[in-house]
Amino acid sequence: MTRRTLVFAALLAALLVATLASLALGAVKVPVSEVVNVIFGNGHGGPDQKIVESLRLPRTVEALIVGAALGIAGAVLQGALGNPLASPDVIGVTGGAGFGAILIIVLFPGSIALLPLSALLFGLLAAALVFAFAWSGRNRGSATKVVLAGIAMLSLFTAATTGLLAAYPDKAPSAIFFIAGGLTTSGWEDLETVWPYFAAGLIVAAFLIRPLDRLSLGDDVAASLGSRPQAIRLGAGIAAALLTAAAASIAGLLGFLGLVVPHVVRMAGGTSSHAYVVPASAVGGAALLAAADTLARTLRAPVEMPVGPFMVVLGVPLFLWLLRKAV
Amino acid sequence: MRKLAALLAVLCLALPASAAATAPPKRIVALTPFAANTLARLGVTPVGIGQTLGGAERFSSKLKGVETLPLSHPNGPNLEQIASLDPDLVFSSSTWAKGNQAMRNLGIRVVIREPRSIAGAFADTYKIGMLVGQKHLAREVLKRMRARTRAAESGISSHPKVMVILGVGRTPFVMLPNSWGGDVVSKAGGELLTGGVSSGSGFERISDEVVVAENPEVIIAVPHASEDDIPSLAEYLRSNPAWSSTTAAQSGHVYISVDNSLLQAGTDIARTIDKVRRQYLQN
Repeated sequence: MTRRTLVFAALLAALLVATLASLALGAVKVPVSEVVNVIFGNGHGGPDQKIVESLRLPRTVEALIVGAALGIAGAVLQGALGNPLASPDVIGVTGGAGFGAILIIVLFPGSIALLPLSALLFGLLAAALVFAFAWSGRNRGSATKVVLAGIAMLSLFTAATTGLLAAYPDKAPSAIFFIAGGLTTSGWEDLETVWPYFAAGLIVAAFLIRPLDRLSLGDDVAASLGSRPQAIRLGAGIAAALLTAAAASIAGLLGFLGLVVPHVVRMAGGTSSHAYVVPASAVGGAALLAAADTLARTLRAPVEMPVGPFMVVLGVPLFLWLLRKAV
Repeated sequence: MRKLAALLAVLCLALPASAAATAPPKRIVALTPFAANTLARLGVTPVGIGQTLGGAERFSSKLKGVETLPLSHPNGPNLEQIASLDPDLVFSSSTWAKGNQAMRNLGIRVVIREPRSIAGAFADTYKIGMLVGQKHLAREVLKRMRARTRAAESGISSHPKVMVILGVGRTPFVMLPNSWGGDVVSKAGGELLTGGVSSGSGFERISDEVVVAENPEVIIAVPHASEDDIPSLAEYLRSNPAWSSTTAAQSGHVYISVDNSLLQAGTDIARTIDKVRRQYLQN
């Protein structure tokens, strides 16, 4: 059994444990037997069934999908840009999504139901602006240009978000959870709205697995093998934008996950092959977010904390340990 | 004898100086609605009152024409604007901690008066009266406030389970007993649901699982919104999957309060309790 197979198996085991924990644990004690009954459609009604069916199950599924999406987005971006610092933040999506969400919270609280849509649209708008600038003028589509345009756009939207919060400080508490990153118990509604974006991003990313491997050999070699580096980069950017904007619309700003998880799976597996890194990042991201969300919900229960800090606490030690070994 | 005369002469000279040192401040700025309205009740007109951007502060009609100072994080008022008013005393809030320090650095006396309970509002009314040289009037005002509040609290017929939430939408915080809104609702006869949580801030984000388990009969949301937003916000809250099964949502007892009366301490305590009882708790 190869090292990458072992790592992938370990990630799947972690995913299973995190999923079970997410379903079984919460602020209210629900017997595990009842959790199992509800999941298999044999619940006994009452608050316990409502809690598992309407709150925990959708939230767990959201955590898995958002975690997987951010892991994939980070993996394809790092591959396409050849930059280890690349993350969904780099193409401006998280900055745009943050602005879209805070805009609703601060200026249009009566339209709070539109928050996910606004985050999604502004996230995609930010990415579109990044691509428009990066694909214009000299060296169009180069990795450096994409990264610089992304950082500029991120700064622009972050400044706008900060400006809004400074102007309306009394509304800041409502915004904290979105900025810090956190899943909510909004049932299946959010997923019903944004699942096409997840699906489209996933399909584009799947088609990029082989081209990204060629691109990792360098633009010239990739071109000599018949690939088009700029088109691959654009495709990766679009996939990452769709996945990250959809993730941010549900769970707020969790860009850290997209930065760290691909590195962790790459270092642990000892290979940069995208046929391994992309699915492993999806499984690792899903497991990490589900575990972090369970911690955020249960550690000080019934108080709920933002999931972002927990993800960092879980992910950074492992990342630093692997980094030390790798260097 | 000569020594005694000299001592008397020194005392006579010193008395006007000490009287001047304790003279009530003339130029007062009130950054919180509570302090501003208390001053108005005490017959003192401040030279400036604070106003958050988009905030719906409830100012006394006696404060019409007083210069308003826009407040924003982290300083609160614009320091140049407040310095130009040359205040002797500023009543501020701990929300503007950074600005409070900056004002003190400018030599301005800053006092925090931001009650988070009805008892605190009574105490602060008297303290403000003392600080502005209206101790006796403050005592009278306080007497009336206490009497009206007692009347507003009397004859409570039922104690429904109430959850009071702060903020909009997806991640609301619940108000705890040590928040202004929590205290008012408790005094109005509501049994405040908090999941057993306590927090120094008076607010905490609690799990929706607890909301389902504790099953509030009334939900009052304080969302920082305008009157126009009430129908859509009420509908949004009622259809929240976490709350749709609660008695409050199913019986249509989800209310939106947009006038800040449950958010910030006010001087119209009896009216607020009365409104909570009539409109929300129906007890």
